[in-house]
Amino acid sequence: MTATSTQYSPRDYKSDLKPIWCAGCGDFGVLNALYKAMSMCGLKPEDTVVVSGIGCSSRLPGFVETYGYHGVHGRTLPAATGIKAARPELNVIAVGGDGDGYSIGAGHLPHCARRNPDITYLIMNNNTYGLTKGQISPTSMVPLASISPKVDPKRWKTTPYGMTEEAINPIAQAIAWDVSFVARGFSYKPNQLADILAAAISHRGFALVDAFSPCPTFNQDQNDDYYKDHTYDVPEDHDPTDRVKAFELALRTDGYPIGIIYRRDNKPSMLEEQAFLRRRFENNPGTMEKLFAKYQG
Amino acid sequence: MTPQTATSTRVTDVVIRLVGESGEGTVTLGDIAVQMLTMMGLDIYVFQTFPAEIKGGTVMYQIRTRSGTILSHGDACDILVALNDEGFDLFGGGMREDGILLYNSDVFTPTPQPGRTEYALPITTLARAEKDAVRHDVEPEILKRLPAPVNTVGLGALLRLVNAPLEPAEQYLRDTFGRKGEAVVRMNISALHSGAKHVAEQIGNKRTPQVFPREREEKVLIVNGNQMLCMGAIAAGMRFYAGYPITPASEIMEFLAKELPAFGGDVVQAEDEISALGMCLGAGFAGKKALTASSGPGISLMVEQINLAGQAEIPVVIADIQRGGASTGMPTKTSQGDLNLAVYGVHNESPRVVLAASSVEDCFWTTIEAFNLAEAYQCPVILLSDQALATRKSTIPPPDLSKVEVVNRLLPTEEELGDSYMRYRDTETGVSPMSLPGMRGGRYVSTGIEHDETGDPGYTPELAMQMKRKRFRKMETLLRERGDAMVRVWGDPGEVEVGIIAFGSTEGVIREATERARAEGYKVGHLHLRMLSPLPVDPINAFAARCKRILVPELNFTGQLAGWLRVHTDIRFTPFHKDEGIPFIPNEIYQQITHLAGK
Repeated sequence: MTATSTQYSPRDYKSDLKPIWCAGCGDFGVLNALYKAMSMCGLKPEDTVVVSGIGCSSRLPGFVETYGYHGVHGRTLPAATGIKAARPELNVIAVGGDGDGYSIGAGHLPHCARRNPDITYLIMNNNTYGLTKGQISPTSMVPLASISPKVDPKRWKTTPYGMTEEAINPIAQAIAWDVSFVARGFSYKPNQLADILAAAISHRGFALVDAFSPCPTFNQDQNDDYYKDHTYDVPEDHDPTDRVKAFELALRTDGYPIGIIYRRDNKPSMLEEQAFLRRRFENNPGTMEKLFAKYQG
Repeated sequence: MTPQTATSTRVTDVVIRLVGESGEGTVTLGDIAVQMLTMMGLDIYVFQTFPAEIKGGTVMYQIRTRSGTILSHGDACDILVALNDEGFDLFGGGMREDGILLYNSDVFTPTPQPGRTEYALPITTLARAEKDAVRHDVEPEILKRLPAPVNTVGLGALLRLVNAPLEPAEQYLRDTFGRKGEAVVRMNISALHSGAKHVAEQIGNKRTPQVFPREREEKVLIVNGNQMLCMGAIAAGMRFYAGYPITPASEIMEFLAKELPAFGGDVVQAEDEISALGMCLGAGFAGKKALTASSGPGISLMVEQINLAGQAEIPVVIADIQRGGASTGMPTKTSQGDLNLAVYGVHNESPRVVLAASSVEDCFWTTIEAFNLAEAYQCPVILLSDQALATRKSTIPPPDLSKVEVVNRLLPTEEELGDSYMRYRDTETGVSPMSLPGMRGGRYVSTGIEHDETGDPGYTPELAMQMKRKRFRKMETLLRERGDAMVRVWGDPGEVEVGIIAFGSTEGVIREATERARAEGYKVGHLHLRMLSPLPVDPINAFAARCKRILVPELNFTGQLAGWLRVHTDIRFTPFHKDEGIPFIPNEIYQQITHLAGK
């Protein structure tokens, strides 16, 4: 993280582009929390890149007055890793939805955890596909077909008779992969979310923040009221550095804990290892002549 | 000292083919023979073809050697060294009728053939005897892991067969085995002489070719296509590589993992090819020159993001080391079957450059060109090579580094940055100054979504056309600025009976066939395409205008270059395409030339 003494207000991160989101979209709250977190961390806008894939939430880079990278569906983490590897001094924040991160892009998550680059990944989780208008996502909670014949066929387009697979638990998954900072937020608690995001940005390593961000257009089931009823703050005595305890918290079925659930501060990072390798050759830098000499006949 | 026999004939051009079980040292024997021949001042050109298995299956390692430039691996082989019968059955057919066969008589005895000269070499028996002789002089720890010197016996036999001196080999063995102690050195030198003696005893009145050592004035490199591609990339300033292992491209990642850190660069082994290109695009956006390399199946996975690079205008180089067959196909065999993938592999349309390297030396220069074009025109560049070129070992002069020209992307000036900065400014050339993160006043969102000049999303019909025109204009600019340099023309100037249009790794073999035909009085021209997309149509048409007939040879089943030429030109030609997994030999191109000329 590159912080400066210059103060930036949340407003300084706001671009001229108006968000395309529906009225009441949870992403507005997330965006405001992000502005605030960036301000809290004093991120220099020109030294910051917000990276995204495809989806409603992936339009976010356009609304932030920093550099942006709006790539293809699901490839947010590879792009963010490449940016950070190329320019370690930049602040890199990856953003996207649950479909982008947990479905099409899910294959990149464990590997980003292994590499542990110093980037923040903010997932706006609305339990549905919004941009394609209401199909299920890996976190959808539509009842299973066998136990509930009462699913509204008009609402769930690809699962009119109920779902045929269970939702994933992204927090438990992330802890299993040893993502070095795992937290959960809620867009209707923007101040708390801003604190969580600021901690994630300040964390040295790969930080995943899953923020519930309800979709009022395509998912009225998991709306703001649902989450208000089903979330609670991470208990004050929770030790996020205890991985087993973190797992227990992530696996609880009485609701969703909001806050920092797991963190590991000393996890090695690919970028630091690479820097170490480069330093090894500092006193004997490569030249083309030396390369040619290795292959001389 | 060069041994001489009354029956030795001086030869200037020898093709030696080694065949044996994969993983049993055939390639090692070939590599040592190459070293020896190079030390004798000779040039070499190696064609290797492998089974897909790590152990088992037959590997073929063909060395052509002579003094001077070598354009192909040659036609039939003069000498076949068959280390097993399976190799002999598979590759024995490629021998001259009056060729020389050196076979492993421990394993098989071939049926004699009139005209063929045969040497039996009980290679395993001889090697075991050598190991037994030193058994008590070698430390037990070393002895346990000491193989019988089979390759050294083979090397001695082979060197004797071509009347080459053994002294350089002795020195080589001393250098290689010195660390293992004097006894191991002694064993190997004795094995070398044992193999040589065994052949010498059989020579009698048999014919043997004699290669002549020469003093080499200039330095040479012994390198293959993949290695030169890597060196070209480093010379061009590439400092970020991400890739995923795949035959025959893995060697590129292995080379760079070893060498790039010393140049201040990084290598990442990604979880798949999608991630590899994703990281390269991130690095390219952030200002680094990035490379990924793969083969057809991996390139297929990259296609979506190749289009992102075109649309978002991110410089990146993607090397496709083509391999045989569709799907898994024939991973260890060669092909030019990814031309369609390279030029058409895209949803909708976005500009891209497709280059093809044509020789080991050219891998260096074309890779530099690839980075220069990616930077100059802010687009993805697909660089085509193939298995045969990637593993083709050649002696080449070290590239003249003073001729290396490095192009970097156009950055905005201080005045251009600020509130009025537009990342995708619609310019006369289509190229817009590209800001990098960290530049104040250069903020934009690099995006695949259709956008206006600032990078903000926009879908109006006018905008859609304006921005597409702007991006494709870069390709027109490229053709205008560099189109003529994107072809190489060989053969007769002026009107020709037969003109050949081709691309990629076939350049040498076509040149050799062309020279052969010209020596016999045919008028033949050859235009070799360095760039396939955008296609340099003007030089192609100018060439075609002076050809009575045109031949388009390529190594794929359906004639992909032929199809691409039909899309972009009105020229008439005779296609000649096949996809057997092996390169052309000069004779088959020569036959096509004389056949067409006679029409």
